[in-house]
Amino acid sequence: MNVKNMHTRLLIFLVCIILGFMISMQLKSHNQHQTIAAQRAEELTVRLKEVQADRDKLAKELDEYRAGRISGAAQKEMDELKARAGETEMEGKGIIFTLDDSKQVAKAGENKNLYIIHDEDLLRVVNELRSAGAEAISLNGQRLIGSSEIRCVGPTVLVNERRLAAPFVISAIGNPQTLESSLKLRGGVIENFKFWGIKADVMQSDKVRVPAYKGNRTFEFAKMVSEEEKKKAEEQPAENNKDKNNKESGNKDSSNKDSNNAKDTKETAGNPKASENKAAADTGKQQPESQQNNAGGGAK
Amino acid sequence: MIYAILGLIVGVVGGILAPGFVPKIYAPYFSVALMAGLDTAFGGLRAAMEGDYDNVVFLSGFFINIAISVFFCYAGIMMDIDFYLIVILVLGMRIFNNVAIIRRLYLKK
Repeated sequence: MNVKNMHTRLLIFLVCIILGFMISMQLKSHNQHQTIAAQRAEELTVRLKEVQADRDKLAKELDEYRAGRISGAAQKEMDELKARAGETEMEGKGIIFTLDDSKQVAKAGENKNLYIIHDEDLLRVVNELRSAGAEAISLNGQRLIGSSEIRCVGPTVLVNERRLAAPFVISAIGNPQTLESSLKLRGGVIENFKFWGIKADVMQSDKVRVPAYKGNRTFEFAKMVSEEEKKKAEEQPAENNKDKNNKESGNKDSSNKDSNNAKDTKETAGNPKASENKAAADTGKQQPESQQNNAGGGAK
Repeated sequence: MIYAILGLIVGVVGGILAPGFVPKIYAPYFSVALMAGLDTAFGGLRAAMEGDYDNVVFLSGFFINIAISVFFCYAGIMMDIDFYLIVILVLGMRIFNNVAIIRRLYLKK
């Protein structure tokens, strides 16, 4: 090495300082970039936990205030209304119904949609359960209340504005015998599912837990009708009828929902071209079903 | 040689102790600049071993290579071409080249 004088050495020294600085800086920055994403996630988790704790605390406070204000009969009534509206967790005898997509391979030229669970299948089950007197129903931990929707969104099903995927677990509180037999009716829901290989399992249980509804519940368009307005409306008989209807449907949330469900299924059955895919699935599922039934009858 | 190693150590320690870090947007520029710096350093080492080390050539090479590589990187990002990959590729090849020559010179001794 022919490094001649002090001047040159000093310059090399300086350049090497710069180089070393850059190397360590680069390594440090690299680590920093990696940890930043993790830090952000951590921060958000902590924040979420804080907000959840806050929410729970406020809900508790609200309950306390309400308890302080209302007493006796009013409290009892409120509790009952809350239970009916799905605001409380419920427990009791009932069934747990598990549904999973079919593992069968679709035959060539056959619609694969026939082998998976659709919103209509779930609606049929829920409808059947309600008609058999189920008092509280939840679908994959989502409490079904009057305004709950069951609707296909891509490969998932939207319930209470939450996406759920198979397997579906429907917990229903009610008379276990009645509920089970309502599903196992000849030509009923389960028989229909079995044909397509969709796994359907009914389990009776003495302790079915149905969680409370946790979604948002605000009225954006609907307004309560006050007593005065009601009196005014009574003078006009046509309006009167409407109001009464509203009131009744408001009180019997679940029955209203039932009729809605029934309407839904009827509608799609009525005009099969509206949603060709689903309608095809529907009719496709039912046709072989009836054939099978006929065959069974003939054999007997 | 001793000065170079000393300088490197001082620089690394300084970098670790220095507060702050390079923001993510500038990360490609910085890595390219680092590559250019390394390339020049190895080039200088090779020149020193070959015996035709020139201080001016080394210093100007160091800074101008860094400037050009950063400029290339910037231009590439402006034009949506991954220029910095080319810069890193070329510089990496040069580093390997230089190291290979240094190795041979060292073995010949």
